[in-house]
Amino acid sequence: MTPLDTLYLASAATLAAMLVLGDWRRAGVLATLMYGVQLALLFTMQRTGSTSFDLSALGFELSWRFDALSWFFAVVTLGTAFFASWYGAGEWLRAYTGRRRLFQSALAANVFAMLLLLGSGDLLTLFVGWEATSWAGFLLMALAGGLARDAALRYLVYAMAGAMALLGALVVLFQAGGSFSYEAARATLAAMAPGPLWALIILFGLGFGAKLALLPLHLWQAAAYSETPAPGSVFLGGVVGRMGLFALALVLVGLIGIPHLQALAVPFTFLTAQDVVAWVAALTVVLPTYTALKQNDARYLLAWHGIGQGGYMLLGLIVGSALGSAGGLLHVINYAATQATLLMVVFGVRHRVGHTDLNRLGGLVARMPLSFLALLLGIISLAGLPPMSGFVSKWMVYSSLIQDGRPFLFLAAIVGTLGTILSVYKLIHNLFLGQLRAEHEQLNEAPLSMLIPMLATATLAFVTGVAPGLVLGWVADAQAAIGLPVIDYTLGGIASPRASLDMLWVVGVMFAGFGVGALLFYGAGGKTHRVHQLDNYAGGHFLDAGMRYHYSDNFYAGLMHLIGGWYRGSFHWLEGAIGSGLSLVAQGAGGWYRAINPAFYLLAASVALIAWVAL
Amino acid sequence: MNALVLPVVLPLLTAFLLQPAGRLSAALARWAGPAVLLVCAGLLVQIALLTGGEPVTAAIGGFAPPVGIVFYADALALLMAIAVPVSALLLWPRAEAGEAGVRQSALMLLLVGSGTGMALSGDLFNLYVFYELLTVASFGLASATGTGRAYVATVRYVLVSGFGSLIALAGIALLYAQTGSLNLAQLADLAPERLANPLGLAAFACLLIGFGVKAELFPVNNWVPDLYACAGKPISALLAGVVSKLAVLVLLRLTVLVFDSPEAREMLMVLGLAGLVTGELAAWRARDLPRLLAYSSIGQLGLLFVALSLPGPAGLAAALAVALHHLLVKPALFMLAERWHGSLDKLAGAGRASPLAAGLFTLFALSLVGVPPLPGFWAKLLVLLELARGAGPFDLTALALVLAVTVVEAHYLFRLVGILYSPGEFRDRHSPRALAVAGLGGAVLVAAMLTLPAVSDALAGLASQAADTAAYRTLTLGGGL
Repeated sequence: MTPLDTLYLASAATLAAMLVLGDWRRAGVLATLMYGVQLALLFTMQRTGSTSFDLSALGFELSWRFDALSWFFAVVTLGTAFFASWYGAGEWLRAYTGRRRLFQSALAANVFAMLLLLGSGDLLTLFVGWEATSWAGFLLMALAGGLARDAALRYLVYAMAGAMALLGALVVLFQAGGSFSYEAARATLAAMAPGPLWALIILFGLGFGAKLALLPLHLWQAAAYSETPAPGSVFLGGVVGRMGLFALALVLVGLIGIPHLQALAVPFTFLTAQDVVAWVAALTVVLPTYTALKQNDARYLLAWHGIGQGGYMLLGLIVGSALGSAGGLLHVINYAATQATLLMVVFGVRHRVGHTDLNRLGGLVARMPLSFLALLLGIISLAGLPPMSGFVSKWMVYSSLIQDGRPFLFLAAIVGTLGTILSVYKLIHNLFLGQLRAEHEQLNEAPLSMLIPMLATATLAFVTGVAPGLVLGWVADAQAAIGLPVIDYTLGGIASPRASLDMLWVVGVMFAGFGVGALLFYGAGGKTHRVHQLDNYAGGHFLDAGMRYHYSDNFYAGLMHLIGGWYRGSFHWLEGAIGSGLSLVAQGAGGWYRAINPAFYLLAASVALIAWVAL
Repeated sequence: MNALVLPVVLPLLTAFLLQPAGRLSAALARWAGPAVLLVCAGLLVQIALLTGGEPVTAAIGGFAPPVGIVFYADALALLMAIAVPVSALLLWPRAEAGEAGVRQSALMLLLVGSGTGMALSGDLFNLYVFYELLTVASFGLASATGTGRAYVATVRYVLVSGFGSLIALAGIALLYAQTGSLNLAQLADLAPERLANPLGLAAFACLLIGFGVKAELFPVNNWVPDLYACAGKPISALLAGVVSKLAVLVLLRLTVLVFDSPEAREMLMVLGLAGLVTGELAAWRARDLPRLLAYSSIGQLGLLFVALSLPGPAGLAAALAVALHHLLVKPALFMLAERWHGSLDKLAGAGRASPLAAGLFTLFALSLVGVPPLPGFWAKLLVLLELARGAGPFDLTALALVLAVTVVEAHYLFRLVGILYSPGEFRDRHSPRALAVAGLGGAVLVAAMLTLPAVSDALAGLASQAADTAAYRTLTLGGGL
């Protein structure tokens, strides 16, 4: 039995255990331990690869194997599953009113399906894994019912449209090359004429882009991820969408190759296929980020950011240089830790307060200081500021865009980051800063079972920020696996003559600065004056403690005055228009079958057929 | 191989004797039908075991073809012939007391006898006669619920069927005028020189319309939704399941043996696509489960015709995979619709009331949509691969449409699954028999998934045998004319 077999066995055993024992009081603990075992098994496996079983069906070979790219995504998957499950293993599970067995099984099924997808050794297996992941995701999203069910159904339409685009691409590729194997596909794609190749790139892009929520396939994601029960939402938000990136890396980069994309021109323009993908990624960064800015539910705000961050990953990857693609891939793991932290905090607030409405919260720092700390670290990382890990990967993406001579894409990335900073400030302000509401005065800190994982992931995001070299080795191997140039890294960051970064220095200087500040402050006597939380001012007027004042609604009124007109809802309009159009056609089709007098139609049909024959 | 005749003759004979027998003993009338079906199924299985899937023929009355009437039983024909009594047994109508019950049993036997005859016949006129017999039996069965709506739906069905029969007869007349024969093997011999002309194609068009009525082919299928919605669910299951496949089998033989031309294939594909798109879109807007299933059945059969239009044994294998999958899944779904009627929204809570039924529905829905590794996926994959092999603009359009329609299919099926599992007041439970039939369907589906390599080999064998026109001709005509 190979190490990969053992891993699959462990993952299947987790699923089986949850199907049987999912209702047990300690099922969450058991699941967490089993995800931990899977993670440990993964670490004992060689990063460069392991094979697993083969199957044969209808004359097609299906095979599963891991390479360094699979391994990298599997680490993120199992790590996120481990912390998400831990988060939901204690008090959260006791308070959960839904069906526990179903929930635990759905989570385990997602992990198993994703490992199968990551291990796919040919295109048919990739599709099987893709469908398994999609449907497991659907189960997890839908099981809460109500709003979640509607959101999941919407997801299903996008996911199925994507899957069918993918299937179309696969059968065309099969007939062109005679095989589903990666080698045959690589050879076929290399020799393909531009027209069919464009068609395939678009089909693959639609297929994988639907899961990554690339524009214009992004509308489903925020609601579907947000309405899922907390640990499920953490898992979905942290890693599930990234399967789209994995597949794009595998096909666009691994099979077609960046040089080929650069050589493939858009007819009648100066753009290449690489530019098109890069701009789709850039738009995915900008537009959803500014949509996040307008959200009034903390979960939705974070989920919309998830879409934008996916854009950063693809942007880095598609630049294709050692620096850019490493940044894109590194952002997967950094973002998973960041988003998991943020979602855990937000769902911790929800656990205590009962909702995540940003207009009805505030001042919670006084009641939930540790959650506040985790959220603070999380938003610093999400905004891409030092010393957190999000800074490292975003810096790599920015630098690669500049090095590659793409100032406009760089500008788009910066505009996206600006939107991120604005909206994460809204998040932390409306949740934790300002005045505490009267009804929250008796609130407690999030329970320990939820605090530990959120602080752990925040710590991970910090540690990999200070010493990115800890994970850059994984990234470098993944780059090598799909034929990308490999990043030259050190413990503190990147050693490159054109763009080097040493986070150990950056953080050292930063904390030295804090130290100097502290020295000055305490040297000057360290005079502090504590004020009550309700003791504040608005517009220069003193407000006494009896007058509650917490500014949250219409948070960026001034900014919205400037850019509010740009929110046109065009994608919603497009989605609605397609739905209405289809509905109209369907009504016509239904009308045919409800026709009162079929004989007339039959006669007409026969005449038409005979006319066809005669012509 | 004269035993081949028995599974056709026995049910027909019993059907005619059942009325008088009912006067003698109620128990006899009640149990004779199922007993005869068991015997028929047993006989057919025995024949299949004896021949080991090799084709055999039987000349009725000892008259050699092409003058005499011939039965031709290859693996596919036997499989379909076995499916007829087995389906009928599983979907046997609930025993009613007295005359009505006897009448219904007799009609069922008539349907089984003629259906088996259709599966085995190697002669077009014979096929037509059995087809008519089967049609008449299905009229009576469809209106047996006795409601006004069922009568209206049946009248419509009668109208379309009568029209179809007329057209089919015209087609047969055209064929006979061109070739002077109605024996399929001889037609296959004569087709290249006598039927490769507009008149031959016109004959095919007529036959397509005629036999297409039962096969739910696009322009002649608008009797389907109302009838399936109003008839008893076992009858709907029978019609959508095995009866439609018998008509498909006839069209399959015709396309493989006689009308193997690109024009005929094109016609099949266009009509198939029209059925696929209109059926699935209408199902998307359907407001009750029986109609939803009826429309979805039209769509699935549309896919089947698209598959049937694909040339070569690989195309035939794809068509057979789709056909057998539908034969298995749709009756099971109709049995689930037995209690799940009325507005779709009222089904909320059904998942709690009968978890097994809801679970089975989800399984069938997944397979219909084509989620790997369920058999429905492999069937769809075979069709898509063959469409991609063709690679003409026509094939690629069909490929795109099949894929696009699958999204619609997934949406309406899983919208319903969502309703089934949401909290609600629905409390009706299924009869044990409905659950047993659906459960059997589910079990076979899962078994087929687990033994996929064996199933795919069997399927390829069936297809290559059915595509082997030379064997059909030599065996039936004894080494040619």
